[in-house]
Amino acid sequence: MSFSRKNHEHHKTNSYFMSKNQINIRFIFLYVFSVFILNTFSNSLYAQKVKQHKLRINVQYVKIMDGEVYFDIKASSKIKKKNIKVSNIELTLYNELEDDKIKLGKTTTNMNGESRFILKNFNEIRPDSSNTYNILVSFKGNDSYKKAKKSISFKDAIIEAKIITKDSINYITATLFDSKAKSPIVDESLTVQVQRLFNPLRIGKEFNNTDDEGSILVPIEEGIPGVDGNLALEVVLNESDDYGTVKAIVKAPIGKVIIDESTFDQRTMWSPRNKTPIFLLIFPNLLIFGIWGIIVYLFINLFKLSKS
Amino acid sequence: MKTKEQIINDLTPRKFNKLGVAWTTLLIIVIIAGIIAYIDQLIKGQIVTNMRDYALWGIYISNFVFFVATSFVGTVIVAFLRLTHKEWRTPLVRIAEVISLACIIMAGITIMIDMARPDRLLNLFIHARLQSPITWDVIIIPTYIVLSFLLLYFPLIPDLAILKNYYKKTKPKLSKWYGTFSLNWTGSTAQKAIQSKSIKIIAYLIIPVGFILQTVDAWLFSTTYRIGWSSTNMGAYFISGAFVAGVGALIAVVYIIRKSYKLEDYITDMHFDKMGRLLVLACLIYLYFNINEYLIPAFTASVEEEAHLNLLFFGQYAPLFWFVIIGGLIIPIVVLMFKKGRKPLPMFIIAILVVLGSWWKRYIIVTPTLLHPFLPIQGVPESWHHYFPSIHEWLITGATLAMALLIITLLFRYLPIIPIQRTTDEHKLLRTNKITES
Repeated sequence: MSFSRKNHEHHKTNSYFMSKNQINIRFIFLYVFSVFILNTFSNSLYAQKVKQHKLRINVQYVKIMDGEVYFDIKASSKIKKKNIKVSNIELTLYNELEDDKIKLGKTTTNMNGESRFILKNFNEIRPDSSNTYNILVSFKGNDSYKKAKKSISFKDAIIEAKIITKDSINYITATLFDSKAKSPIVDESLTVQVQRLFNPLRIGKEFNNTDDEGSILVPIEEGIPGVDGNLALEVVLNESDDYGTVKAIVKAPIGKVIIDESTFDQRTMWSPRNKTPIFLLIFPNLLIFGIWGIIVYLFINLFKLSKS
Repeated sequence: MKTKEQIINDLTPRKFNKLGVAWTTLLIIVIIAGIIAYIDQLIKGQIVTNMRDYALWGIYISNFVFFVATSFVGTVIVAFLRLTHKEWRTPLVRIAEVISLACIIMAGITIMIDMARPDRLLNLFIHARLQSPITWDVIIIPTYIVLSFLLLYFPLIPDLAILKNYYKKTKPKLSKWYGTFSLNWTGSTAQKAIQSKSIKIIAYLIIPVGFILQTVDAWLFSTTYRIGWSSTNMGAYFISGAFVAGVGALIAVVYIIRKSYKLEDYITDMHFDKMGRLLVLACLIYLYFNINEYLIPAFTASVEEEAHLNLLFFGQYAPLFWFVIIGGLIIPIVVLMFKKGRKPLPMFIIAILVVLGSWWKRYIIVTPTLLHPFLPIQGVPESWHHYFPSIHEWLITGATLAMALLIITLLFRYLPIIPIQRTTDEHKLLRTNKITES
């Protein structure tokens, strides 16, 4: 009797524990499930909250005569009333025609939000019926920025520049004309400058407007320094609405030769050790070897002491 | 007049008493704390210090300069007094030699602590340029370490032989060690001739080497075009400063050793009087160079120089500056001018003041100048314009000072503080003179 009662009680206790365990498992399941649901929900809420900013794209077309043709692109955005340069933005360039759009390639902005897309060949792009080239730069958008695009249109202009000498005075003469229409471009302002290390040095008047033949003539003053007397002169049509930026570079040995005052090959206090001044090789070494010679002699004396 | 046996008994190294054990334990604790801080510095880099682009030399370099300066004591006491035949130097020379060796070793170690990458130490030799004062420093410090060691070792050899015989029966193991380092010294005429010739050479050699060491240390600063450093006065200024720091440290150590080892019979009031006179001379010379160093720039002050001097005279560093000038130079001069001031206890207090002044002097040579370059660095945090050592720097610097004191303590645990052979020779000579006179 007592045994069956004990058994019964034992069974009761067991079932009590089992039911408590089951409740615990249910609670845990509910808790995990609710956390999962809440998390998902809050994530979607969070995603909705993220504000996509407006991206500004700026494109400059630059053509260097007998050189590169490229597009300088800048990506920026106004966030909290501040202009921010947007880096790592993938942009696609298209050549737009009347009924077609040809993809030219892709480029990505750098840390400064800038990118330069170089055309391998100017013939890669085609003009429309009015001899205007239309280029579209497009950004397809991402989590932080909305999609954006920018188009530019330009006609192809050519600058032909050369150096002439009249009465021992050097001049740079340049002619600006439309390549397709084969006509001179009149009354456009051209800049004449000499290439320098940081910023170009402008010469001549502030505005050199082209005449009826699309030409300018600017005297080059004497004594402009150049390495080996060589000067690189630039004639620039700067950010024209119709033609973009076009630049012609002429190199001529008409500058003043720069006398190299570098001490690079000399033995100086600031040169590397293979160019140590001779006196510094002689005197410190004399001191070092003199002192250490005596020190060695003193150690020999220690040895002699132990042997004598 | 003491007999030879009495002198040997008095001057043989003694075991630490309770105070000695406590002192050594304290030093070891400070060193361990410093080693832990240094390991942390090695792991995390120099960011744990308060050195930044402005204060690129901090407490480590000022501590290094202090060690270099103090090591000059070997040159001053041993070489100068030997060459001028000042016989009263005898009980002081070994203490000076030990301080000199301990300090120059710690100067070398402190420079390595200042290097963010000590594993690249060898590069200082591999890529050395003789145009660089750093290279001169790298060459002269090991040279001075070796020479300081020889300066200590050569006169020690006869004493080591005495200790070998003294401990032969009581401590045979220790006796064997003394025997090894005594290089079979028998006191033969040939050995004496070699020894005295070598000591003479070292005494002559250590003067130019000591001067080169202090001058190179000064040129580390004066070859840099900075306010407060770019001065032609710097070499002589540093040598005279080292003279002060060295003699100050010597007096402090001599006082403690005399008291703890009861050497009053050997290091008498007369020795303190002589050292006091030497310290006054050192302080006067250094004060003269200080006047040169500050008065002329103040007279001809450019805008930058004026800002620097204002900072020292009236600004943030004024308390330290005036403590160094008044406490570290003027008060010692005034006190030591009087005979009563040259008694052991006042001398000890003055010596501590001089040593503290010398340490902080190096700090105000290094730091204020670095915080005011000709061309300020753009766009750095405001905190970089100020410098005060971090806890890591204090712990490590404390450990280097403790290590120098530990080297001195341990060397005097096993070496005779006062040269035994020389003292017995002098006593013998005095006795012979007395007999001849009577």
